[in-house]
Amino acid sequence: MTVVVGDRKRQRWVEVAREFWQARSGRIGVIILAFFVILAIAAPLVAGTDYINPVKARAAGLPQWGTPAEVGPLGTDHFRRSVWDQFVYGSRISLLVGLAASFLTILIGSAVGIVSGFVGGKLDSALMRITEWFLVIPFLPLAIVLAAVLGRSLLNMIFVIGITSWPSTARLVRSQVLTLKQRTFVDRSRSLGGSGLHVVRQHILPNVSGLILANTTLAVPISILTETTLSFLGLGNPQTASWGKTLEEAFVNGAIARNAWWYYLPAGVGIVLVVLAFTLIGQTLEQIVDPRLKDRR
Amino acid sequence: MTEALVVVEDLHIHFGAARAVDGVNLAVMPGEVLALVGESGSGKTTLIRAIQGLTHPTSGKVLFEGKEADARHLPDVQMVFQDPTGALNPRRTVSEIVAEGLRIEKFKGNEAEAVSTALSRAGLRPPERFLRRFPHEISGGQRQRVVIAGAMVTEPRLLLADEPVASLDASIRGEILGLLRNLVDTTGLAVLVVTHDLGLAWNIADRVAVMYLGRIIEVGPTEELLDSPKHPYTKALLSVVPETRGMEQQILSGEIPDPKRIPSGCRFHPRCPVLQSGESERLGIAERCRGEDPAIISAAATREAACWAVKAIAVAG
Amino acid sequence: MTALLSVRDLTVTYRTSQGEVPAVRGVSFELEPGGSLGLAGESGCGKSTMANAILRLLPAGITTTGEVLLGEEDVLTMKPGRLRAVRWTGAAIVFQGALHALNPVQRVIDQITEPIILHKTEPDKKAAEKRAVDLLGQVGIPANRAEDYPHQLSGGQRQRVLIAMALACDPDLLIADEPTTALDLMVQAQVLAVLEKLRAERQLSMIFITHDLSVLTYVCDRLAVMYAGRIVERGPSDQVFERPTHPYTRALAAAFPTIGDRESRMNPSGLKGDPPDPAALPAGCPFHPRCPDAIDRCRDAEPPLLPSGPAQEAACILARP
Ligand SMILES: Nc1ncnc2c1ncn2[C@@H]1O[C@H](COP(=O)(O)OP(=O)(O)OP(=O)(O)O)[C@@H](O)[C@H]1O
Ligand SMILES: Nc1ncnc2c1ncn2[C@@H]1O[C@H](COP(=O)(O)OP(=O)(O)OP(=O)(O)O)[C@@H](O)[C@H]1O
Ligand code: SF4
Ligand SMILES: [Mg+2]
Ligand SMILES: [Mg+2]
Repeated sequence: MTVVVGDRKRQRWVEVAREFWQARSGRIGVIILAFFVILAIAAPLVAGTDYINPVKARAAGLPQWGTPAEVGPLGTDHFRRSVWDQFVYGSRISLLVGLAASFLTILIGSAVGIVSGFVGGKLDSALMRITEWFLVIPFLPLAIVLAAVLGRSLLNMIFVIGITSWPSTARLVRSQVLTLKQRTFVDRSRSLGGSGLHVVRQHILPNVSGLILANTTLAVPISILTETTLSFLGLGNPQTASWGKTLEEAFVNGAIARNAWWYYLPAGVGIVLVVLAFTLIGQTLEQIVDPRLKDRR
Repeated sequence: MTEALVVVEDLHIHFGAARAVDGVNLAVMPGEVLALVGESGSGKTTLIRAIQGLTHPTSGKVLFEGKEADARHLPDVQMVFQDPTGALNPRRTVSEIVAEGLRIEKFKGNEAEAVSTALSRAGLRPPERFLRRFPHEISGGQRQRVVIAGAMVTEPRLLLADEPVASLDASIRGEILGLLRNLVDTTGLAVLVVTHDLGLAWNIADRVAVMYLGRIIEVGPTEELLDSPKHPYTKALLSVVPETRGMEQQILSGEIPDPKRIPSGCRFHPRCPVLQSGESERLGIAERCRGEDPAIISAAATREAACWAVKAIAVAG
Repeated sequence: MTALLSVRDLTVTYRTSQGEVPAVRGVSFELEPGGSLGLAGESGCGKSTMANAILRLLPAGITTTGEVLLGEEDVLTMKPGRLRAVRWTGAAIVFQGALHALNPVQRVIDQITEPIILHKTEPDKKAAEKRAVDLLGQVGIPANRAEDYPHQLSGGQRQRVLIAMALACDPDLLIADEPTTALDLMVQAQVLAVLEKLRAERQLSMIFITHDLSVLTYVCDRLAVMYAGRIVERGPSDQVFERPTHPYTRALAAAFPTIGDRESRMNPSGLKGDPPDPAALPAGCPFHPRCPDAIDRCRDAEPPLLPSGPAQEAACILARP
């Protein structure tokens, strides 16, 4: 019988997937995202790392500020480095930071939200006070201070974004849990002898998982933008090329004044497109899985 | 006399100003069906939720086999909820829902078989048709039967059923009530059933208790109570039963009862036809009706009504 | 008089992993302004499906065919905007078992005024609130409870809020799907009296679904009994249960409890056999496997609904005048 049930659950996800694909916004989001994911995975096939290194780039005789017409796909920057190679490898960093930081955000946010909403009482007030504290202090200065204190590495970047952006998720999940807790099926499970853990696993989680999923996809663009901002402010890892860092360097070195569009435009467009893709996917998912939006029919 | 399975002692449950349950004594014996009837909003659901341990009493006690049963959950007590649709998790299939109780108590036997048997006994036949469905894919009455199957599958000793057959047609209703009565007679199951369906009481209940605004105001053996009600509220309630159309219908007038403003004296007095018709005056109890609360009916009472007029007539007669 | 609602050959088919489930299989009826049709039938026979299909409230992916004419317009082909307008003001529905469907974080009064304000059936918010409180009072909920949240109300009180909500925009047609399952007889009588008054004063038409046959005979002037997705008997309400001509109606009426009847004391009666599976109906008359009067001919073809008495119709080959 468990096989049969598993079957039925899978079927539901197939249904969700079908409905998702039928929505135009979902389809566009997935196509854009797929493009960048493939680009990031296939980076070694379409680009190289050699010309990201200024020494090697110089040795190869690449010019400074080379236009795309002069030197290959996207020209070179002030250090003679290949912009195309930086762009392709930068996509890896942006996606990685975006996904990992969102994962952390959602993990903390959901855990806090579920515990707070379900257990209630003193623990709830304590957790909500912490959450509010995080919400009222301005986010960027905190992230800057944290990033400066912890040092400039990729892991720290992920940590900083994760630790500063979970509170809104926590609040959302908590309010959903609070309404779920009032539902009769929770009472029913309790009177069958179900423990708190049982109720959370069997009844609360399945009913907030959709919300959490949609929220995750919506957290990714925020993480990516934060990474960009922090890198732009010079708080990124100096060793790795992310889109945010490309933008910073282009800006600092006067690419705009020189009209070297090939330097800053790809990274900028990349960010906009990836952010758009995740937003489209998240919103479509939200509409499909959120029972409140669906019940209205 | 056998010992009661569950005893409720002077139970009070307040929600802020609302005194939803306002002094209730009650006992249910093993192998007994007690029907709890009463006006919508009179505190029936609140009372049985407290017995199940889902609501904290403001004061008073619930004793299960003589032991205090507070907030902890009693595996021997199962509840059928008033709102079947709400009682089913929309993300779980029928088979998972019915099996939940078995999984919690780490049932050793054949789960699939137990679930199928429970479903077919509740009239969902063949069970394979329903196992894989989600709650929104079955009809309202079918949902109600899933809730019943889920409560019965763990073989409780006390069943608290809140309007268990309200959305079932007469034939399936009969089948399920027959099943319940059979279990009561053969296994000693005790049932406390909340219902507005007096036919249900007639069909399966040994005793009936009538609730009004947070109190039990009359209790007695089913036949006696339905044949010759004593309390004016019970009389009025029975007068609107379509089958007893012989009686003159008494639609109560006066203010709408509200647990936030329980009237002084007899809580029924603002709507009581006996008082309104001047009958109380003649019996010389009108003052008491308005000013003095009739005593709370005890759990041991076999036949009693909390009404001054009933007492006065009994003394006189 | 022209019909307010006329349903023609309505069918509804659910699609599931196990195949198609024809839940409603060709139902036709008409309803005049001020008329009321009662629907009874076995649990799972398709009553709610039909009620929801009339207002096109079934989720996407379910096949509905036939015609549902509300006035001149076919609901099944209406534009979404028009449909939204019709849903509250033209026709309103009280869903079955919707006690949990009220918004848990909104006060009940706001939930009742919402459609009134949305459809502008009252001039302003104040008037809308006055109307909401007035409606609540009519169904027996004191004014000071209007500010409560749904979880502070009892089951029956919530059910009455749903009824008040459906009546909020003065619809011409009310579809009530088991609206009184949580009400005691006294309150039920009060609510039914409110509906009766609206019917007399404003020509409110009603489709009333319930298992309580005495309520049906009280509220409705015409009754239809459904079995396995079809109407199997219909006629004037007092007549159908006093002189049922279809064996299923007879069984249903017999199973209905009578207080004081010694035989049924401690002995509730049911109907033998299993309810039909809409996905695999027996050939011929779908009731024949459970029918006490069945003859060989019952297995041949599904009998159509034909006159079985004065103003009465039944889908049974034995029930011919
Ligand atoms: N959480 C709460 N807060 C405030 N009042 C409440 C709460 N729960 C119940 N009440 C009130 O207590 C009274 C009793 O409610 P209860 O649900 O026990 O009634 P009931 O007898 O089951 O009625 P019904 O037959 O309509 O289901 C009602 O007036 C209700 O409004
Ligand atoms: N989404 C669905 N998918 C598949 N089958 C369904 C779905 N919804 C309902 N059904 C089936 O269709 C049939 C008719 O359901 P419907 O809800 O109309 O019954 P009903 O007459 O209202 O019954 P009740 O009196 O129990 O409320 C039932 O057998 C039910 O199991
Ligand atoms: S005590 Fe008085 S008011 Fe109360 S029910 Fe009896 S007669 Fe009526
Ligand atoms: Mg209740
Ligand atoms: Mg239904």
